[in-house]
Amino acid sequence: MEKLESALNEILKTGKGNSILLELDAELYFKTIIKAIKKLQKKGLSGIYVSTQRPFKNISSLLKKEGININKIIFIDVASAASKEAQEKCKGCVHISPELDVDELVEAIYNSAEKMKGKKFIFIDSITTFALYKPISESLRFSEFLISQVKGKKDIILILNVAKDLSQKKFIRDVVMRADKTIEIKD
Amino acid sequence: MIDTKKLKAELEDIPNDSIVLIETSAEKAMDVNLAVMKILTDKDYTGLIISASRPCKNLLVLYEKNSINTKKVMILCAVCKSQGGDAKNTERVIHLERISALTEMSISLNEAIKKTEGGKFVFIDSITTMLIYNKPNVFAIFIHSILTKMRMNMVSGLLISIENETNKDIRAEIAQLCDKVIKL
Repeated sequence: MEKLESALNEILKTGKGNSILLELDAELYFKTIIKAIKKLQKKGLSGIYVSTQRPFKNISSLLKKEGININKIIFIDVASAASKEAQEKCKGCVHISPELDVDELVEAIYNSAEKMKGKKFIFIDSITTFALYKPISESLRFSEFLISQVKGKKDIILILNVAKDLSQKKFIRDVVMRADKTIEIKD
Repeated sequence: MIDTKKLKAELEDIPNDSIVLIETSAEKAMDVNLAVMKILTDKDYTGLIISASRPCKNLLVLYEKNSINTKKVMILCAVCKSQGGDAKNTERVIHLERISALTEMSISLNEAIKKTEGGKFVFIDSITTMLIYNKPNVFAIFIHSILTKMRMNMVSGLLISIENETNKDIRAEIAQLCDKVIKL
C-alpha cells in the first residue's frame, strides 16, 4: 500500500505517470481494493468504478459497509450486462448493453468523467474478467485507449486491476508495457 | 479429518450473500461437503448442490448417515445421466445431461433458486472436477455468470476446489471473484 500511496502523491503533485496497473493477491483481492479506494477518497478524488466482477448492488453495498462514500463514485455495471441479467435503474449506476462493446464502455466512462468535478480516478476491476467475455485484441484496445486518454491529464488517475497469478498472461504483459507504473500490493 | 470448528467459525462471520471458495485436499473434500451441509442446514438454510463429483444417490445416503436434514437439500446431479445411471428427477434431485452442459446447469440453478423459499445457498462440488470436463475459459465465464446471478438474488455460495489440482489461472480468476478463501 505504501507504493500506491507514494505513486498517488507523485501523480497528484506532477500530473505524470497517471496510469497504474495494480497486481493484487487473488485471496486478498477485495480487501485490497477497499483499501485502495479509501486511499483515493482520502486524497479527495471522486471516481468511476468499472465493475466487471460484481453487480452494482453488491459492490455498492459492500463499499458502503466499509465506510466508503459511494455518492462520490459512479459505477459502471459490466457484471450484470455480461451475465445478461435484468438491469434496474439505480442512482449512481450506469448500465451498458450485454454485448460489452468497447466503444460503448469507453463512452460510458467518458460521459461519467464529464459529470465529475475536480480530481478523479477510473478504477477498472478487472481487466482479466473483462477479457473472459471479449477477444484479447478488444481487451487490449480497451486498456490502451484508456491509458492514452488519461496521459498528460493532471486531474485523472487510471487504475487497472489484475490478480497477481494472472499478471503473467501475455496480454497483461502488453498492458504493463503501456501503463506508467505497475504496483504489486502484498498487504 | 477436517477442522470443523474452524470451518464453522469461518462460515459464522460471513454476510448472507457472500461467496466462499474452500480449498482442500482430494482426501478431505467429502468431509468438507458433509461439514458444510451440516453447518448450514442446521441453520435452516436450504442447500442447492451442483454435484459433479458424486452421484446424487450416494450423496443423499451420506447426508442421512450424517444426520443432515435432506428436506433442506436440492441436488443438481451432473453425474448420473452421463454415466448411464438411474436418472429420474425427484423432489430433491434434478438430473443434468452432463458436467459440460453449463447452459442447462445455469438455467436449472436459476429455477431452483426461484423455487426455493427462505434462506438458501449454492454449493458447487467441485470446480476441479468441472474443469476436467469444460474448457477453462468457458468454465470461468459460467462461474462468473452464476456468481453474478446469485449476488443479484442475495444468495450465498460455496465452491470447493482441490488444492494444487485446479488450473492456476482459473483458480486465480475465481478466487478474485469470491469474498473469502478458506483453506482446510
